[in-house]
Amino acid sequence: MGVFIWHDWARFVSLAASIYLVWAGYWAIFYRKFFWDIVGGIVRDPGGIQPSRGAEPFISVIVKAPIIQIMVIIVSLITLMVELPAPFIKGTSIYRSWTLRIVLLIFQAFLGVLLYQGTNGALYSLIAAYGYTMAQMKGETMPEPKKGGGRGDRA
Amino acid sequence: MPESWFHREFLTPRKLCFNVIWYGLHFFLFGYGWHSQATNARLAGLNTLKWSVWSSRGAGLVLAFDGGMILVPMLRNIIRVVRPKLAWLFPADENIWFHRQVAYQMAFWAMVHTTAHYVNFIRVEQTQIRKQTALEIHYTQPGGITGHVMLLIIVLMYSTAHNKIRAQCFEAFWYTHHLAFFFMIGLYTHATGCFVRDTAQPDFIPTFPFYSTDHCLGYLSWRFTIWPGILYFGERVYREIRARRSTKLSKLLVHPSGAMELRIVKPSFKYTAGQWLFIQVPDVSKFQWHPFTITSAPEDPYVSVHIRQVGDWTRALGDRVGAGPSVVQAMTQAALKAYDKDEKTTTALGRGDFVELDPASSTRPLPVVRIDGPYGAPAEDVFKAEVAVLVGAGIGVTPFASILKHIWYRQRRGDLGSLRRVEFFWICRDAPSFGWFQSLLQEVEAAQTDPNFLRINIYLTQKISEDMLWNIAVNDAGADYDPLTLLRTRTMYGRPDWKAIFGRIRQAIESGQYLPGSKSQLVTKVGAYFCGPSVLAKAIKEEAMAACTSNVKFTFAKEHF
Repeated sequence: MGVFIWHDWARFVSLAASIYLVWAGYWAIFYRKFFWDIVGGIVRDPGGIQPSRGAEPFISVIVKAPIIQIMVIIVSLITLMVELPAPFIKGTSIYRSWTLRIVLLIFQAFLGVLLYQGTNGALYSLIAAYGYTMAQMKGETMPEPKKGGGRGDRA
Repeated sequence: MPESWFHREFLTPRKLCFNVIWYGLHFFLFGYGWHSQATNARLAGLNTLKWSVWSSRGAGLVLAFDGGMILVPMLRNIIRVVRPKLAWLFPADENIWFHRQVAYQMAFWAMVHTTAHYVNFIRVEQTQIRKQTALEIHYTQPGGITGHVMLLIIVLMYSTAHNKIRAQCFEAFWYTHHLAFFFMIGLYTHATGCFVRDTAQPDFIPTFPFYSTDHCLGYLSWRFTIWPGILYFGERVYREIRARRSTKLSKLLVHPSGAMELRIVKPSFKYTAGQWLFIQVPDVSKFQWHPFTITSAPEDPYVSVHIRQVGDWTRALGDRVGAGPSVVQAMTQAALKAYDKDEKTTTALGRGDFVELDPASSTRPLPVVRIDGPYGAPAEDVFKAEVAVLVGAGIGVTPFASILKHIWYRQRRGDLGSLRRVEFFWICRDAPSFGWFQSLLQEVEAAQTDPNFLRINIYLTQKISEDMLWNIAVNDAGADYDPLTLLRTRTMYGRPDWKAIFGRIRQAIESGQYLPGSKSQLVTKVGAYFCGPSVLAKAIKEEAMAACTSNVKFTFAKEHF
């Protein structure tokens, strides 16, 4: 009945997902674990899962060096900058683009799902990306940002 | 200048009190949970995980508390019953605000709890203190599964409950919020996996609650948190039963200003002035309940609500009853024409006329309606003060329709309590859009025998054009009735100066001319009641409080919708 504006909703989910992933990426630097190491891995006592040979490339960028973690943090921070938006992005074509947001969200979901801590964030990112896809399909557009912002007009 | 965040949160006694108790309680629970885990000798095995397990347990206890509290402010019927007794203790009208505070706390502590568990489980896997992998705990055990599901539900519920989404599509919020059912199920069953135990394997038993409390040493918090859940569920069932009691839409009036008045007869529905109800029209939507202020007085033989066709639901309702926008527009224009003619002969009536929709003339009978309520509102307190200052701003004037009618009925019965005088303020941008309210004011004003009892003050804040200015200037001079509102009271233009208004009332009371005979009284109570936007509420409250003296006491109450 009421008009559900997809991009307004997707923005909140996207904010939640991106903040989740920044936080998850931070913790993943200290507790490094490849989420899919269970595939073909064996459990050693103590020591936990020993990943199979096939997982070697992932282990080298997640456990040996926290590269994916740092990438997840950077991409999520970029998403946050677009979503909040940062002052220098407000009003630019980047700010008005759904496609860019969908790409960023899917990318951060892809990175997030590799990490033990990042799967929920990845799921929320995909939900947000779905929201933006719906916004794209419905032809929603981002309105020009209000000067001064805030809820002052409600007074 | 808006007051600073610090000033609002810490320098207002009530707010400071709430903040200290609220955050203090949360940190205390966290600390207690942490301590009880860290010092529990039976959980020595788990304690080898150190701070991560202590924080997850601390946050878990906080979350159990919040999970129990989240439903408490939504027990609308119970709040309505206890509010007269407990109004001094907590602001019962702020229940949604409190619900949000619990939700914010829940989000924060869920973050702490989840983060700590992500550390816990990876450490369990690495040290193999239990022969499990982290992913097994996360995705095959009840604690992990319910936890992840609850987090997802939190994301969906919070994102659709945001003010912006709720305003543009209430349904999205309303339906999504019913995920709370699954959330609560998740909460009550979160500990059934028996993660907190002193044995290597969980000690499951075949009887309820399916784990042995001898070895599963969780908080067993579901024993407490389930009660608000049961009460809430019971309340929803009760509301459904109550809504099904016989209800009949007896009359439907359309006012020229476009407002529809629904007169509903429901003998089992008891209410007091100023309360509100939920209304449902199955023909328009089977599941939606919409809140409206009751505009009839309890003495009236019917319950009435005035509905303006502004939202999609209200428009659909208009279409259903055959009073769609086109019909209303035609009627408004006809009424305005009649009004233009009337103006020359200065009859007081003309704008307040309404048209009754005759169900016999249309092909469909009047729709079935269901009402649920009543809820909220402190209007009964009006009769406890000697002077009532009623302030309605914009659409916030609606509860005063009921209150003024009720005062009028009680005036006739000579049963006014301690109420001696009523000052009614109505601040609105364009008065003509509330034509129905004007006609009501006309009735109340015309019925006044004591010219000093009720004073109506109308403030029009709209910018007026030069033409209108001349129109008013010419028509107003010497006329018996105000040209805009057709009341004897003159309309004032611009915003009211509250400082001066409250100051004048105080002076008048102190000099004894306002309430004859009140000199002998020690303290005169002036109650200000406000309904409208919160920015204005704050300003009025400040001025009312500033006007307090030792023998004139101002109180302030506001209503939400």
